[in-house]
Amino acid sequence: MDYISIDNFEGPLDLLLHLVKESNIDICDIKIEEITDKYLDYIKHEDNLNINISSSYLIMASELMYLKSKSLLPKNNVEEETDEELTRENLVNRLLEYKKYKELTETFREMEQSRKEIFIKGPEKYSNYVEEHRSNEESVDVLIEAFKKFLERKEKDRPLETTITRKEYSVNVRKNSIKNILRKKGKVTLDELIEEDSKPYLVVTFLGILEMVKEKDITILQNKNFEQILIELRS
Amino acid sequence: MEEVLEGLLYVQGDVGITIDEIKQILNIDEETAGKVVYNLKKYYDDNKRGLRINFLGNTIKLTTREEHKEYYQKLLDGPRENSLSDAALETLAIIAYNEPITRGEIDNLRGVDSSYVLRRLLAKGFVKECGKSELPGRPILYKTTDDFLDYFGLSSKDDLPSIEETLEVDEPKDLYTSIYKEGGDTNG
Repeated sequence: MDYISIDNFEGPLDLLLHLVKESNIDICDIKIEEITDKYLDYIKHEDNLNINISSSYLIMASELMYLKSKSLLPKNNVEEETDEELTRENLVNRLLEYKKYKELTETFREMEQSRKEIFIKGPEKYSNYVEEHRSNEESVDVLIEAFKKFLERKEKDRPLETTITRKEYSVNVRKNSIKNILRKKGKVTLDELIEEDSKPYLVVTFLGILEMVKEKDITILQNKNFEQILIELRS
Repeated sequence: MEEVLEGLLYVQGDVGITIDEIKQILNIDEETAGKVVYNLKKYYDDNKRGLRINFLGNTIKLTTREEHKEYYQKLLDGPRENSLSDAALETLAIIAYNEPITRGEIDNLRGVDSSYVLRRLLAKGFVKECGKSELPGRPILYKTTDDFLDYFGLSSKDDLPSIEETLEVDEPKDLYTSIYKEGGDTNG
């Protein structure tokens, strides 16, 4: 028997289908004993089984062995009736169902190819057709919506394994950078000082501002409730 | 009105336009809209233009012709084959024919874990979430999108290649006989 690497199969069902096809029998006529032996033989032959991939193959192996042992035991027809999920019939049905989609993938592959034979241009730049750029709040909302959607998709596109590195912030460094900003601009709003959106960054910025108030380096102004908070360098 | 539609199709490009949008923009009823589309399509075909009107992914689009593919391929230097993997195709087929479907059901049909493939398909925009199942744990339901249809050159879901009816597992006898007839060619 030719051993195709297990990596070439999409899973245990795919492997089983291959084995059935190789032995030239109809799925409905499979003999559990035979197929189990072949399957186990295959698994044993594969010496570098990756645990992530192999678990599903091993589950199938145990199911097959269970079926095989059941078929070898004398029939105890009084007990154990139907409602078990592990039956030969069930396996056959799963295989048939899987085969259906497996065969369809070829059709989809062909459709994919022939669709590549036609081209469609991208949409026009809509801004070319809009008379004046309307920058009201509605359009900002739309932008935010779009950005959120982008983030959602980005999230899904993200690799499953990522390393997270922690960025260290120092209150002193932040204080100096705030001072520099104030020297350059004179008076700024609180929002202007928040350039990065991360919790540690916000906390360090606030601590820096508070310390600077305490040290009488800056003053904080707010004309009315809920109005912009202004920060000014004290001379 | 055909001229306006032509322009609209140009502006929209691969986003395409729906009959509803045509109705609204041209302020016409459905029948007229259909006629306008038909006329423009016929015009392109009769005059052997380089472009044609196509219905892809539930929208009307202006596309090039299959016959001219070799020329475009010359223009786009080198093969930039970017096809979907077998696992992705298999998973898409399962979703398309069983939607809405949960990940558990997909895993079950494929016999392997499909979370990675499903993520890729979601990111590509071929599949989207569509509510929650009533099953225990209320798992998320998935279905295919118009982009999926377009990617395979399908106008709508009705265009999916036919598949024998999924028969009830309670009737294994029926399933056997029907598959026998269908799959007779695979082995004598």
